[in-house]
Amino acid sequence: MSVIKDISEVAKGMGITFMEMFQPTVVENYPDGPGIFKGAKFQERFRGMHVLQRDENGLEKCVACFLCAAACPSNCIYIEAAENTAEKRVSGAERYAEVYNIDYNRCIFCGYCVEACPTDAITHGHGFEVATFNVGALVYRKEQLLAIKPAQMGDNAVFNKQEMETQRVLPG
Amino acid sequence: MPDVNITVDGKKVTAPAGTLLIEACKTVGIEVPAFCYYPGLSLQGACRMCLVKVEKMPKLQTACTTVISEGMAVTTDHEEIHQARKSMVELLLGNHPLDCPVCDAGGECELQDMTFSYGASESKYTEAKNHKEEQQWSPVVFFDRPRCILCYRCVRVCDEAMDVAALGIQNRGSGSVIAPNMGDHLDCEECGMCIDICPVGALTSGAYRYKTRPWEMNHVATACTHCGDGCKTTLGVRRSETGMEIVRGDNRDKSGPNGDFLCVKGRYAFDFANRTDRLTQPLVRRNGKLVPVTWDEALTYVGQKLAEIRSQSGGASMGVIGSNRTTNEENYLLQKFARVVLQTNNIDHQRTADFAAFAAALAGRPDATASAREVFDAPAILLIGNDPTEQHPLLAYQIRNNVRLHKARLYVVNSESVKLRRQATLFSQIPSGSEAAFAAFLAGGDVANGANRDEWNALRDQLRKETGLVIAFGSELRGASIASLNKFALSVQGAKLICLADYANSRGAADMGVYPDLLPGYVPLIQGSKFKAEWGTLPDAAGLTLPGMVDAAKSCKLKALLVVGANPVFRMKLDPATFANSFLVVQDLFLSETAAVADVVLPAASAYEKSGTFTNTYGDVQLVKQAGEITGTKSDFEIIVRIAERMGYDVAKLVPFGSGSRADMGQSRGAQSGEADRHAVWLEAQGLELKMNPFDPTAVFDEIQRLVPGYQVSRLNLMAGNDQHTRLDQNGGGAVGDPALIQPANDGLFSSGSTGRYSKTLNTVMENRNRVEMPKVAAD
Repeated sequence: MSVIKDISEVAKGMGITFMEMFQPTVVENYPDGPGIFKGAKFQERFRGMHVLQRDENGLEKCVACFLCAAACPSNCIYIEAAENTAEKRVSGAERYAEVYNIDYNRCIFCGYCVEACPTDAITHGHGFEVATFNVGALVYRKEQLLAIKPAQMGDNAVFNKQEMETQRVLPG
Repeated sequence: MPDVNITVDGKKVTAPAGTLLIEACKTVGIEVPAFCYYPGLSLQGACRMCLVKVEKMPKLQTACTTVISEGMAVTTDHEEIHQARKSMVELLLGNHPLDCPVCDAGGECELQDMTFSYGASESKYTEAKNHKEEQQWSPVVFFDRPRCILCYRCVRVCDEAMDVAALGIQNRGSGSVIAPNMGDHLDCEECGMCIDICPVGALTSGAYRYKTRPWEMNHVATACTHCGDGCKTTLGVRRSETGMEIVRGDNRDKSGPNGDFLCVKGRYAFDFANRTDRLTQPLVRRNGKLVPVTWDEALTYVGQKLAEIRSQSGGASMGVIGSNRTTNEENYLLQKFARVVLQTNNIDHQRTADFAAFAAALAGRPDATASAREVFDAPAILLIGNDPTEQHPLLAYQIRNNVRLHKARLYVVNSESVKLRRQATLFSQIPSGSEAAFAAFLAGGDVANGANRDEWNALRDQLRKETGLVIAFGSELRGASIASLNKFALSVQGAKLICLADYANSRGAADMGVYPDLLPGYVPLIQGSKFKAEWGTLPDAAGLTLPGMVDAAKSCKLKALLVVGANPVFRMKLDPATFANSFLVVQDLFLSETAAVADVVLPAASAYEKSGTFTNTYGDVQLVKQAGEITGTKSDFEIIVRIAERMGYDVAKLVPFGSGSRADMGQSRGAQSGEADRHAVWLEAQGLELKMNPFDPTAVFDEIQRLVPGYQVSRLNLMAGNDQHTRLDQNGGGAVGDPALIQPANDGLFSSGSTGRYSKTLNTVMENRNRVEMPKVAAD
């Protein structure tokens, strides 16, 4: 009787396989899917590449308080502060970050920097495709981390003169 | 005073009568919070943070203004007190902007700490905060009015401790505002004490603002490199592309002889070290032009050339000029290098006070010199010549506060109407140049001209009645005058002397024997058998003095000259062609007037970039620690050792390394920033560490302590960062030289010899003081 038992076991197993063929697909079609994330889906809370936010006037929110750098357990944030002047206004407060680097070789995406930020300047975006063959490319500069300027602000956005002249194209 | 017994939170406290409650609590480790109370300043009772419950008193009492009385029972930890403090913080925060992320004080702000300890996380106020624009009061003082909590510390420190009174209060009640004396800007000594004492970020420093944050820096406690007072200063340093950059000078370590005090130079004039025109590559003259070369090339060239000159023309044809700003170890090493390697006694430095005569006068007299700390406690002080307010800010501070807090009697004898006359019990203005006559009169002489006779007689009689008199004199008194002053000091019970010199280590240069006729510890050459035994060789004939070397250079007799951290061309107003026929090697920070005419220029590290010890003008020896770092420079110590090595000399004989007690292998034993490495201090003090490095200054300090008896101070205390008073009486006999050799620089509050010229802050402050008066604007 063992033959019948064996056949029934196989049929039971294959039954699951056949049943699954009629269920909807649950895997994501990354990287062949649609949209800028190529089919990858995220929870809102996903901690990806950092984004340095701007305020409603297009000025940087970061005031170079160094709290993110102090909170960072892997010591991957490097900041140099400078003072805003009437001619060159970068942030809303007196001080701004002249240099703001995040070393993604070290970053562990723990989100402590975001938690520490008193001005909600640093946030986690959903970017995750950071892999590279070049270690040096993993040190991201402020220009690469900054959010794009609010396009809807148009002429109302307060930009500093220097930046107006050399309008950079920033990565999305 | 009789002791009073009180109870604080159940603990028994015994303190002298008259003690303030807040201080009595501190003695048993109970911290009572306060903004407006500051030890040493007058009482304000403005902030109401120090409220405590005193039994049998109806309301809460301010601990900072309550004097303890017998049987007092005090509670500092009670719900009612917590409520009161919470409300006080809430009121303060009613208008205090919450811009902590931007504020310079963020991280070291007393209001932040208090809010954490006592404050509520929310406020009942819905009104908008009253914003006012930030004001710049001087190149170094900025005032952010909304941040001010009106504790009046700045006003009191400026008025009482500094006697400048440049800050005041306008309006009353909640409309009160701190205002500068000139309406919209300050006219003051720019000492920055107001910034240092401000519990919040209302007063901020122009040199440091918005640069970094307190926890981002390393804090290095070292000695100031400017005037001869030797204040302890804490430098905040951070990494930069050139090495380590100094971003702040302040006084967070209040353990030095200066306590709370720092002047404009100590606080801001570290910036010469960060100049971009610092020399960072050795320069060698080729075809009449100085060209950059590698260290190896430059040192080999200097070594070969000096060895060649020594074998051809002998040591007597070579000279060495030492510095007032290099460490004791470097000075000692330099004179040893001159005497042992170059085989010449032609070594001198720019003398700014007659320490040789001072040592001669005081030989064999124990405890005859006063330390910087003693000035603050002395019952009476006699000041002859000098203007401490300008030239020795710490001395002036100590005197002022001694008079204010301890009611000391101050006698000022000066040819100018110096500012300290305001604190003087007796001020005698004497004709310029008659200081020596006054010293002779004190020693028992008579007054030649009759004009001052009665005044001088009365002064002398009064001085003789004093006990524990501290006599400070400037470079006006030299040679024999110092001896007569000492004769007078012997007639006053417990009198001590202070000889005032200009620069950070002028005393150290003198103590370490950077003299043509004196060995370390003021030992005359003929008595130098101890040194000969230690070093193996010692030239017998006295060498040339600084003017002597210049004359020899003019008459082409000086074949080689090594100048370490000095600028004789500028200071002595020499013709640049003076050294045209000498092989001139200059070690300096900048391409100074002397360096510009040199054959080889070696870029040296400043005193903030090396380790060692400094001796201030009072004779207090202090540790100098490395704070900054400029890539490409080397300490004078290392340069001298390397030149000796290239001249074929056995370096182990010059620096006794390998036998001593320290391995400087760059390891840190977990010391936190700003804190002494306790393990290293202990090992060093026990003599347990191996010395493996020929560039280790402590190896030379071992030799100094062995050969200069006055420097046998507690190594443990010294290494832990405390100032230690050296003894002059245990040293050699000194010598009375030509008074004309003493050339004081007469630097003021805003100048500091060649380093001062390269300080941007000092220059801006000076320009600002000389600018035309701005139109007056109503303060509000």
